[in-house]
Amino acid sequence: MDHLTSPKVQIGVHCLNLRHKGMYVLATPYPEESQFYDAYDSTAYWCVETQQAFGPDGQPARPDCCQGDRDCCKH
Amino acid sequence: MKAFAYVNATSEREAVAALKFDGIALPLAGGQDLLARMKDYIDSPDRVVNVKNALDATVTATPDGGLKIGGAMKVVDLAEHAQVAKLYPAVAAAAIEIGTPQIRNQATVGGNINQRPRCWYYRNEEFVCYKKGGSRCFAVNGENQYHAIFGNDGPSHIVHPSSLAVPFLAYGAKFRVLGPNGEREIAAAEYFTMPTLQNVMKENVLADEELLTHVILPAPGNVKSGHYEVRYKASHDWPLVFATIVLALGGTSGNTIRSARVVLGAVAPVPWRSKAAEDALAGKPLNEQTAALAGEAAVKEAKPMSGNAYKIQITRTAVKRAIMNAAGIKTA
Amino acid sequence: MFRQRGGGPAQPPPKPLDPRYKWPEKPTLLGTSVKRLDGPDKVTGRARYTYDINRPGMIYGRIVRSPVPHAKITSIDLSAVQKAPGVKAVLAWKEAGAELFYQGDPVAAVAADTEERARDAARLVRVRYETLPHVATEAQAMAADAPQWSTAQANTRAGTRQETGDLETGFKQAAHIVEQTYSTHVIGHVCLETHGTVCEWEGDKLTAWVSTQGCHQAAQGFAQALGIPQTDVRVITQYMGGGFGSKFAPDAQGIICAKLAKLANAPVKLMLDRREEHLDTGNRPSAFAHIKAGVSADGMLTAFDATSWGTGGAGQGANFPLPYLYQFPNRRRAHTDVYINAGTQRAMRAPGHPQGCFLTEILMDELADRVKMDPVEFRIKNAPKLAPNAMWIEYFQRGAKQFGWDKRHPTGDPTPGPIKTGMGVSAHLWGGGGRGSQSHVDIMSDGSVVVKCGTQDIGTGTRTIVAMVAAESLGLPISAIKPEIGDTQYPFSGGSGGSTTAASVSPAIRVTTMKALDALYAKVAPVLGTDAQNLVAEGGRIHVKGDTSKGLAWKDACKHLGTEPISVDGAWTDGLSSSGTSGVQFSEVTVDIETGIVKVKRILAMQDCGLIVDKLTAESQVYGGVIAALNFALFEDRLLDRVTGQMVNPNMEFYLLAGMSDIPKIEIVLNNMPERGVVGIGEPPTVSTASAIANAVRNATGVTIRSLPLHPHKVLAALEQERAGGT
Repeated sequence: MDHLTSPKVQIGVHCLNLRHKGMYVLATPYPEESQFYDAYDSTAYWCVETQQAFGPDGQPARPDCCQGDRDCCKH
Repeated sequence: MKAFAYVNATSEREAVAALKFDGIALPLAGGQDLLARMKDYIDSPDRVVNVKNALDATVTATPDGGLKIGGAMKVVDLAEHAQVAKLYPAVAAAAIEIGTPQIRNQATVGGNINQRPRCWYYRNEEFVCYKKGGSRCFAVNGENQYHAIFGNDGPSHIVHPSSLAVPFLAYGAKFRVLGPNGEREIAAAEYFTMPTLQNVMKENVLADEELLTHVILPAPGNVKSGHYEVRYKASHDWPLVFATIVLALGGTSGNTIRSARVVLGAVAPVPWRSKAAEDALAGKPLNEQTAALAGEAAVKEAKPMSGNAYKIQITRTAVKRAIMNAAGIKTA
Repeated sequence: MFRQRGGGPAQPPPKPLDPRYKWPEKPTLLGTSVKRLDGPDKVTGRARYTYDINRPGMIYGRIVRSPVPHAKITSIDLSAVQKAPGVKAVLAWKEAGAELFYQGDPVAAVAADTEERARDAARLVRVRYETLPHVATEAQAMAADAPQWSTAQANTRAGTRQETGDLETGFKQAAHIVEQTYSTHVIGHVCLETHGTVCEWEGDKLTAWVSTQGCHQAAQGFAQALGIPQTDVRVITQYMGGGFGSKFAPDAQGIICAKLAKLANAPVKLMLDRREEHLDTGNRPSAFAHIKAGVSADGMLTAFDATSWGTGGAGQGANFPLPYLYQFPNRRRAHTDVYINAGTQRAMRAPGHPQGCFLTEILMDELADRVKMDPVEFRIKNAPKLAPNAMWIEYFQRGAKQFGWDKRHPTGDPTPGPIKTGMGVSAHLWGGGGRGSQSHVDIMSDGSVVVKCGTQDIGTGTRTIVAMVAAESLGLPISAIKPEIGDTQYPFSGGSGGSTTAASVSPAIRVTTMKALDALYAKVAPVLGTDAQNLVAEGGRIHVKGDTSKGLAWKDACKHLGTEPISVDGAWTDGLSSSGTSGVQFSEVTVDIETGIVKVKRILAMQDCGLIVDKLTAESQVYGGVIAALNFALFEDRLLDRVTGQMVNPNMEFYLLAGMSDIPKIEIVLNNMPERGVVGIGEPPTVSTASAIANAVRNATGVTIRSLPLHPHKVLAALEQERAGGT
């Protein structure tokens, strides 16, 4: 149910090289999901350039890390 | 894997001669242990000596009413051998529990007895432990849930991996060993060695150029025997603890235990004979209560490590249930 | 591309479904049990997995990995390896000065003419490391003076805080309060086919055979990591041996393979071995929660207050839904991600759900006991209301009846003897859904039909359902359809994950085949002297509705195409699939209280999945999910040595998986709901099994084990504590 977490990566805010499963599967939202539990973030991220969970600078690939102030960030 | 020379021995003598070598020579039988060690760079022999065609792979009757089992016999053949099952049911019971059908179809009796420890530190190249020439046993401060609860004075805290060694020891087996200077017979009880700083890289008295050729089982006599294994998984797993019990019975009812052999597996660096349990059994009637007392006695001297005290309770149970098996009392 | 939650642009209402595409009301194939078309190829070895691909002149790659959990590379010396026998290419993946964060972090690679020589050569790469202090467990990382997992980042990161209702009021309404710590452990995906790739260059164009869950997605990964146009990358995945969420990208080993192939000017095969698979291809994060929860005297949940944490390894998060499924009107939850020096997590079959489900469902049984209510009754009382995608209440009732729940004794089997029997129950939910898949259909004048879709079969039976949907639409037997998948030369489709494949692919095939059929009708109608809308395709014929005599056999109809085949593109459309699934599972176990060994006797899985496409492969999904979850409950455990941080069981000897004799009787009840369209169920059936098993252990023994796996040491310790008078 990765679409729940998809909004954690926002175009214009996050690095274009950030990837997670939700970006590669074609899910549709479940309209009543919010009635059952809270939003959460179980998502695993990786960098499309390094193909590892770390960016080219060796630091983690994560939405909170992959924003404008990093040299390797692509927007 | 390091490149090695391969010698296909066709007789016991030829095999022993090939093992005497300036470099590391190791015997190959079923290959269930050696090949994995070589692939994992745990052992890198210069020469591999195939002994499958050199060693006896049959069971023969001995003059005294016992059996002589060839070292190259497949575990599956041992498990299915009618005479073995009749005279030494605990051997058959242990054999059928080993590994998987695929493993039992390859593995040999000699290989099972002489296989190296399954300790996960020993089996991983990164951990240079005593067994690999290092100077520590990683289990002491590490992950020791499957390690020893007896004989824990060190330096190594492995449990002996052989399932067959335990019933063999309980039935008073001898091992025939052949070397460049001829043959010798060693009691199973004398064969396996507790680790010392000098011998920690081995688990038994077999010299580098010697081969275990036969297991010689004496006539069982008027005994009842039982075997019980506690397994986490039902198959393809190493037992957590197991026990073989051999009871000599007498008395007016024929149900009094005159003497007992209690041997435990997967609890110590050697197949572990529990004198305390044997003493607790002597002179008692064979029943569930006696079985429970023996189980209790067996664990009195246990010295667990940081993460394996649970094996004490399992040992208690294995001993109790092996005795109940011998008595024909239903167990779980 | 992304759905915004609250505040995002509103979604346009879906277009109404063209009635031509509606699923048939009386299907001949859909919902029946059809054996996998490629089953015989798989069991005879004719099916070629990535591992089986051999190309002319192919050589073998091998990766050099960090032996330690945390280090800086001082130097990499490739001189010795370049001269090693058979070596054709060598590369440094990281540079001197780079920080390594886990055992297995890739450092360099070699390619040689045989696999064995590549392995031996890799050992000649001389890497000097400055080892750095590491943290191997959550507790080590959270300790006051803990070393840092990274020279740049702290060991913990505060995650979501959520609060709803009023906790104080909630706890005031509670007649009973349970306060405990619950946890689940790290496990691996353990794909039977390890990760890996065969890469072959033709000039600047790359062909990669990849064991992947997404061939189009892997192609994007290759293109972007290698800096080449994606149009120059072709990815092929004809057969695939399991991914479970860990195979959406080429990964480092895929890029390394492509680079080695370029350097050596030869095709390279680089498949990971089991040890690498354990160390560096992802895992399910751990989950811990300290929970205080309240229940009213009449059995209504009132309040839930939780502090949670977990580790996703080196720098990745570990969050999960909590509380799971049940309705606590007043709740608060604060989560912290903990980083340790271990391989990074990846999506694993229902990410987060098995963890959240276990933590909540064990608590549910403890709360039910406090109010002396039956666990089923208690759950019904606190479950969300009945809806097509939320069938729990019905499943609890129907399942309890079918399972013989009335024979369940209260907590603690009173039967004498060491073997105690117990029953447990647990529930789960999932989203799934689908969109976006495209496909192409050709109907040839000889009557042959090919259906192309760039999806891939990750072992779930996708190839078979593609053929089934096409055959259903065209009124043909399945054998008349040639399904072509697993290649980026076929139209775009999504990665096989999130339980979205069936719901994305089936509608696309339906729309495309019905469009193709319309084109065929147009050709045939004049021949039959009628209008196209009067025609119907069934039983291998095209004929006038209600008059079977006025028609043509399929082959004869296609002859009228002459030299021009029907060649049609189509895409997924709204109205043929939906999302949202619910399920309930029951389990019966025995526990040997003298050894601590748990055996699962039987499982009943109640599951909905919308319109069932292939009943057989749908059931297989459930079997697979239940067995995987049994492994999670009892056996699997990624064990790092607490001192060195190195994994002690990176194999299949001490990393335990159920064998045939450990697998219980599994009964499956699939709730066919054709009115909902197709809904995937790859993930949901693996969510609740572990908690159903753990609750059955609790029912059998009378003691609660609040952490997985249910290893005998935990069972015995809990029983011991009980005897000593604890709870």
